[in-house]
Amino acid sequence: MSGSLEYGVSLYSYTGEYGVTMTLDDCIEDVADLGATGLEILGEAHIEDYPNPPTAWLDAWFERLDRFGLTPTCYGSWVDHRRFPGRDITEDEAVQQLETDIRLAARLGFKYVRPKLGVVTADLEPHPVWEPATLRVLDLAEQQDVIICPEIHWPSVIRSKVVDDYIALIERTGTKHFGLLMDTGVFQTSMHHRSGGVPSRMGRGSARPPITPVVPVSDLEDVLQHVVHVQAKFYEIDDELQDHYIPWAEFLEVLVRRGWSGFLSSEYEGDYATGRAADQLRRQHALLRTLVAKETS
Amino acid sequence: MLDTTMIQTRGFKNTPGGFELRLRLPYYRGLWAGLIEGVTVTVDGETFAPEDAHWTIGELRGPLREIAASESARWPVDVAAVIGLRRDQPLSIGFHDVAAELAIQMSYIPEELQPTLWTEQRRLVVSR
Repeated sequence: MSGSLEYGVSLYSYTGEYGVTMTLDDCIEDVADLGATGLEILGEAHIEDYPNPPTAWLDAWFERLDRFGLTPTCYGSWVDHRRFPGRDITEDEAVQQLETDIRLAARLGFKYVRPKLGVVTADLEPHPVWEPATLRVLDLAEQQDVIICPEIHWPSVIRSKVVDDYIALIERTGTKHFGLLMDTGVFQTSMHHRSGGVPSRMGRGSARPPITPVVPVSDLEDVLQHVVHVQAKFYEIDDELQDHYIPWAEFLEVLVRRGWSGFLSSEYEGDYATGRAADQLRRQHALLRTLVAKETS
Repeated sequence: MLDTTMIQTRGFKNTPGGFELRLRLPYYRGLWAGLIEGVTVTVDGETFAPEDAHWTIGELRGPLREIAASESARWPVDVAAVIGLRRDQPLSIGFHDVAAELAIQMSYIPEELQPTLWTEQRRLVVSR
């Protein structure tokens, strides 16, 4: 079976530049200029007056898609269970949040909605509201023709209870509107320490995250049939066009051999420095396209 | 456009009864106001408690607790917040060592590793 890989960029890549050195216009123009055809955004970052964008913003959105020949791919959303100080969100509130984002994403032409779920334990169990809330919005996702796809994202691993639970939901309901988003950061073979930006730390205490094991690319084989979108997370492509953190050749070999179709949506998460994201995205696309050409020749 | 730094150069000034400074949200997305825990500002070693800060985010004005009482209140990532603080004497014209610690609650990070704290020190000028 022969698949078709397409190339996209997530505007997350321009974190540190967006609103500082680049406008939304600049970011979208850059995505088109580097030859990508897929555009991924974060609803809560890039939509003016989220979740109620003004008409002028909506008009500009569609005008840009036309002008640059870009296809909206994935819309990042959040279900923040700590949104109301002193209590967790209720199931109804989680449903309302998901409905808001599904409708807005569909209106903007997106096919995939990635809700980032809150966690309740140190080993990253999602807040239990995720499952009943998801089941309640599956009909809306079908009506709006979008696929809800929570991400498998570092420091979560593929072989975990949460991923098993996502797959169980798909198998139990038979839905075609729920799938998995694979973030390639889970395959990092060594840890990248991001430099630059405003210094930050997690928590006032001495708690530190557990060390995450390296996930072999072979684990992807078990879940690939449910993967609907790839966030091609990366940190640094060097001057020899090599990536020392993400094993792209192995990863792409699996996608090509299995005939996977969809977007590789680049997510730069390397060092902060003005202009660096634009250069690194071009390096990554050059690397990915070269490797895919080798696999398919 | 905003400065790359969290504490903005523009907006640090005396006001009637105090002073103010502008902060950029150094995150990758905007936030529901209830996820902002607060900001602790220090000027030349004098610390101002988070509960004393008066926030202005676009049209929203007041102590953070009052702003967050509106469930639709948000801090967009590309809008600087103005932090107003009371002080008996105006800050002197010239250099000041300004520090800010911004605390944010990220639901997708385990609670024992929260809040996320951004800290920054800058040497800023009061020009009048």
